[in-house]
Amino acid sequence: MKLTATREEILGPVQNVIGVVERRQTMPVLSNVLLSAKDNRLSVTGTDLEVELVSEATLTVSAPGEVTVPGRKLLDILRAIPEGTNVTLTTEGERIVVRAGRSRFTLSTLPAAEFPLVEDIQAMQVLKLPQKAFRTLIDKTHFSMAQQDVRYYLNGLMLESEGGRVRAVATDGHRLAMCEAALNERVTGKQQVIVPRKGVLELHRMLGDGEGEVEFALGTNHVRCQIGDIRFTSKLIDGKFPEYSRVIPANANRIIDADRETLRQSLHRTAILSNEKYRGIRLSIKPNQLTLQAHNPEQEEAEDQIEVVYAGEEIEIGFNVTYLLEALSVIETSRVNIALTDSNSSCLVTAAEADGAKYVVMPMRL
Amino acid sequence: MPIRLLPSALVDQIAAGEVVERPASLVKELVENSLDAGARRIEVDCEAGGMSLVRVLDDGHGIPEDELPLAVQRHATSKISTALDLAAIRSMGFRGEALPSIGSVARLRIASRVVGAARGAELRIDGGEMQPTAPSAQPQGTLVEVRDLFFNLPARRKFLRAEATELGHIARLVERFALARFDVAFRLRHGGRVLIDAPLADTPILQRTRIASIMGEAFMDGALPIDREAGRVSLRGWLGQPQAARATSDQQFAYVNGRAVRDRLLANAIRLGYRDVLYHGRQPAYLLHLDIEPEWVDVNAHPQKLELRFRDGRQVHDFVFRAVHDALGVGAGVAAPTASPAALGVAASGATPGDSGTAQSGTTQSGAFEFATAAPGFWPSAGPLGVPAVRDGAAPPPLGMGVSAGSLGVAVAQLHGVYILAQSEAGLVLVDAHAAHERVLYERMKRGFGGRPAVQRLLEPLVIETAAHETEAFEGHAAEFAAAGFDLSVLAPGRLALRAVPALLAQTDLEPLVRQVLGDLREERGEHHLEAAAHVLLGNIACRAAIRANRRLTLPEMNALLRDMETTERAGQCNHGRPTWTLLTLAQLDQLFLRGR
Repeated sequence: MKLTATREEILGPVQNVIGVVERRQTMPVLSNVLLSAKDNRLSVTGTDLEVELVSEATLTVSAPGEVTVPGRKLLDILRAIPEGTNVTLTTEGERIVVRAGRSRFTLSTLPAAEFPLVEDIQAMQVLKLPQKAFRTLIDKTHFSMAQQDVRYYLNGLMLESEGGRVRAVATDGHRLAMCEAALNERVTGKQQVIVPRKGVLELHRMLGDGEGEVEFALGTNHVRCQIGDIRFTSKLIDGKFPEYSRVIPANANRIIDADRETLRQSLHRTAILSNEKYRGIRLSIKPNQLTLQAHNPEQEEAEDQIEVVYAGEEIEIGFNVTYLLEALSVIETSRVNIALTDSNSSCLVTAAEADGAKYVVMPMRL
Repeated sequence: MPIRLLPSALVDQIAAGEVVERPASLVKELVENSLDAGARRIEVDCEAGGMSLVRVLDDGHGIPEDELPLAVQRHATSKISTALDLAAIRSMGFRGEALPSIGSVARLRIASRVVGAARGAELRIDGGEMQPTAPSAQPQGTLVEVRDLFFNLPARRKFLRAEATELGHIARLVERFALARFDVAFRLRHGGRVLIDAPLADTPILQRTRIASIMGEAFMDGALPIDREAGRVSLRGWLGQPQAARATSDQQFAYVNGRAVRDRLLANAIRLGYRDVLYHGRQPAYLLHLDIEPEWVDVNAHPQKLELRFRDGRQVHDFVFRAVHDALGVGAGVAAPTASPAALGVAASGATPGDSGTAQSGTTQSGAFEFATAAPGFWPSAGPLGVPAVRDGAAPPPLGMGVSAGSLGVAVAQLHGVYILAQSEAGLVLVDAHAAHERVLYERMKRGFGGRPAVQRLLEPLVIETAAHETEAFEGHAAEFAAAGFDLSVLAPGRLALRAVPALLAQTDLEPLVRQVLGDLREERGEHHLEAAAHVLLGNIACRAAIRANRRLTLPEMNALLRDMETTERAGQCNHGRPTWTLLTLAQLDQLFLRGR
């Protein structure tokens, strides 16, 4: 294999995929990236066996070929070369030589055949939606995913498609976030997949604000989509996601209407003196008045009062303030609704004007 | 083969299988008989690891001549007579099995003379065949001689180990007896060589000497005395310092009513008492005597009586746990860990440097601080046994020093950003600031988390599949789960639903925790698991919150930490069991510089 390009032309694709290449590896080939050159195109692939990223670039290929090289080292070398320098990559036996100006680097390689690639994902459905809408979907839900929970199916984001809509749901067993978006084209049948946490975070990083369409293919074991120059493929979590519709309160009739920013700041202030481990905060609601209270093991106390619109009976309820704050921080409207049933049942947080997103938070007994 | 009754010699040999396992079992049975006979002096002689000879001689009340043939009959005993006695056993033995069992598998000779009798008598049995009694020149007391163990059972003989191994078992056993009964003199000889010689130890000083000779000077130097009584139980003995803990459990001596036991309930209670002061995987050393009214314990649960059944296991467990926990929970000013001379590279001289440390610590100074109250758990656990009474010796006034500093002294400087150097009356105190701060924070947090726990409700109940006995265990303890902050209920037989959990544990893996607690509820230690799980978390928080190395401390900050340590329970170790401070006494320093020689 031999190819020539400017530093930037090669650096770009390597930078795009390096995020999934783990620093510490038990399988040496996974710390490598796959370089595959033909027809004046170079494609760079990185994988951690769960998420695979492929990035392409156009440049001059004088001899086609495939080889894997240490990813981090290649990136560091390319970064350290002066901007605009012409770089040549040549395989010489089991080595690859990087020449740039008067610098020369010889790197070890591993055969391309050893590199694990996801070939065809056997798509059963392709979801088409604007890039921005897809990003919002993840934005509004990803923070509720569990982290290293033994219930492995919670360590990811559930995507469900039916008719003209796609729905994303994430939960860690204490709270749940759900968001819906419209598809550009209706799909037939109903599909449900769980994308693992790492894949979701990588996807979130890649998605932009553009209106351009993204095609998200759902396979039996993988999902795949192309965003700009990068092709994203992720394994799926094989498991049954909880019946999320059951936990969304249906008859929460005590509805508090509050200014989002005022409520957020008040929670934030009061939380300073909450227990730092489980961040408990008590809400006492009277007609048109919400009192927030927190205390910590040192018996220090915080109390805050804000005005809200509320006409129901008085109620007192406790929450982990982090869960409320995270939900409030992704709601965009100026007013929010908090719907309660009683102090032992779940609470529903939504934007005042429906935006397709719902947040369910379980209370805490303080 | 037709069903038929076995010949009685064979029945005895089968019974002997349970009682007589190896030469040490002979010694155990015979010494227990001697103790039951009120002996004040017991001599054990053996040869070839006890395989060719075990001879036990005592000065007890002896066996009358006409009772000798009965003594070797099965189910013949003088120790109990009615079923009522069986419910309140005060003697070591009671089954009437030992002598006939031994007689059926070895050559047995018993010689005895009762007080005031004109002459003694002796009886021989060879493999179950009794000879008539004959006169004997036996002094007052009883002599039992067992020769050629298993001479008639080659199959059992093959299972005996090397001479040294069997002798080791015997020596270990005699040590156990010696630690149990200070009012009896013991001597063990092997082929004429004296291995253990423990004269009567009827004064505290002699007792210390006896313990030190068996458990080592190092144990006795730092050992914390424990002496507690609550209603019908009492616990006395010595607890080894956590930093003197060992890799093996070979220095754990537990007695119930003078009987050496290896009871799981007790071992567990003691281990829990040592929780979070022991370095990972270390075993504490201790010598503990639990006395309980005989009606409240059933010793008839194990052929060798190593395990017991307590009538109220839960309370005994709790009493022992609290007693050990509190005894270890004294502030840093009380139990002074001293640097060992070896660690300092100082040659140990006649006077052990540790003496100066312990002399002013231990019981003498404990009154200077309020005795630690039981650390708060998830729920208060004052059972009918009540709050155990502390019976420590009266407190002499604290040592006057002129400076208003506690026993950890006044901070002088910080060393390499890690250690605090302080001058105390006894000498130089070295403190690992991070470890010490960690413990101070941890104990404070544990207090803060007492009372009613905050509870996080779950979105969806977590269904836990259980075995029938686990469901049953849960039903008996539902209230305790609720008090700890778990909303757990039976969904269907064999299925429990968990709907809410203590907020502190919300991020942990709950199913194994619940299972572990359920599994242990039957052994009276379930609640401690819940408490322990919360404490592990607090420990981690404390570790992160504590000051790090290279944090520059001012003198007032250092002094504040020293004062905090003096009033903090278990301040001698961080919550991972590392020591937090050590004392270099003036004597040790003088020794280093060869001063005053």
